[in-house]
Amino acid sequence: MLYRPESLDAALALMAEPGAVLLAGGTDVYPALRDGMPPDRMIDLTRVADLRGIALADGTWRIGGATTWTDIVKAELPPRLAGLQLAGREVGSIQIQNAGTVAGNICNASPAADGVPALMALDAAVEIAGPEGLRTLPLHTFLKGPRQTDLQPGEIVTALLIPDGPGRGAFLKLGARKYLVISIAMISAVVEIGAGKITNAAVAVGACSPVARRLTALEAQLTGATAADIPALCAKADLSDLSPITDVRASADYRGEAVPTLVARTVLTAMEAPHVA
Amino acid sequence: MSLSISLSINGAARDIVLDDVRVTLLDLLRERLALPGTKKGCDRGQCGACTVLVNGQRVNSCLTLAATLDGATVTTIEGLAQGDRLHPVQQAFLEHDGFQCGYCTPGQIMSAVGLIAEGHAGDDADRIREGMSGNLCRCSAYRGITEAVQDATRRMTAQAAEDAA
Repeated sequence: MLYRPESLDAALALMAEPGAVLLAGGTDVYPALRDGMPPDRMIDLTRVADLRGIALADGTWRIGGATTWTDIVKAELPPRLAGLQLAGREVGSIQIQNAGTVAGNICNASPAADGVPALMALDAAVEIAGPEGLRTLPLHTFLKGPRQTDLQPGEIVTALLIPDGPGRGAFLKLGARKYLVISIAMISAVVEIGAGKITNAAVAVGACSPVARRLTALEAQLTGATAADIPALCAKADLSDLSPITDVRASADYRGEAVPTLVARTVLTAMEAPHVA
Repeated sequence: MSLSISLSINGAARDIVLDDVRVTLLDLLRERLALPGTKKGCDRGQCGACTVLVNGQRVNSCLTLAATLDGATVTTIEGLAQGDRLHPVQQAFLEHDGFQCGYCTPGQIMSAVGLIAEGHAGDDADRIREGMSGNLCRCSAYRGITEAVQDATRRMTAQAAEDAA
């Protein structure tokens, strides 16, 4: 059976009975359906108005879970969130971006989810509704491993919460071709700059570990750096938090070689100029 | 358990009973509604051959459950021409050789119609290539496709200006 609730309460009531599969854009769910046993019950969340939309309140951007990537790409957002918008432009194709949602991207928990490094660099938190009410936890805690999240039975991701702030974001994706490709590696950076020097930096790397990781040691070293310092700092960055694997898309060595260069390019891009077209 | 939906397909209101709620829009169009113009390529969102417009937006019909479309407006390749008069995008694909074998063409054309309606690529070749990147062409007719989209964009912009005047 497919249910199409129009309120969050109705959706949560449907979740009380175990075994239901949540559906938003469906772009990850349907290909998986065809390869396995169909679920008895599916709940389409796209008609729940509370789950859609982007708003700023009390210094926090709230992006409803069923907000599509196209909604994010088109939204008027500050330069700090530019990396998230650039990531949105690289999620699959326009057809996928029109259907796929931000909560779907994180709940699918692919190590190669393009949205995740951008959200991590923005210190995003995940808002979850369940039988006990709302809870919020950092995205890096929510994601526990490939295809594993902290979502408990009966719970629904209702929103991503992103602190507003100054600075500029960037995102860079490496794939075997330019578009419509699963990432070999992707980087997102958010930098704040004062007098030509970085005053605060956040850098996250995806597809090079079971869950995307922030490069906290490098972030600390970037504070005080000028653009001229970036290549050298990134070339000797401590990447020990990463554990790239060899798969059909690239070898572990290639990923390890590519990451420092990609990080330097992404940080420099974030330092240069606003760049959301 | 079956489920009933009502939707508009190429301007016609349709009431449909779905015996299996897992049927995709693509299979509904091709196998139930005799609209085989929409093609099944990869059946998993990687090729774009099944692109249609749902409420004016391009989507992969192979990744869209028909059951989620109650109240929606769907446009397929069969809904573009007006009688014998081709849609400007169809005409431009013919004139610019925007295809070779033709299998991906309905999806390419629907994607181009969506892209032009989105309005941010204009006739910029790079933006068109990015905007059309969800539609693969294994014959590699990309050059003709890009030129066709540029030409159709110009014609439709000129027509819109004329209509507004």
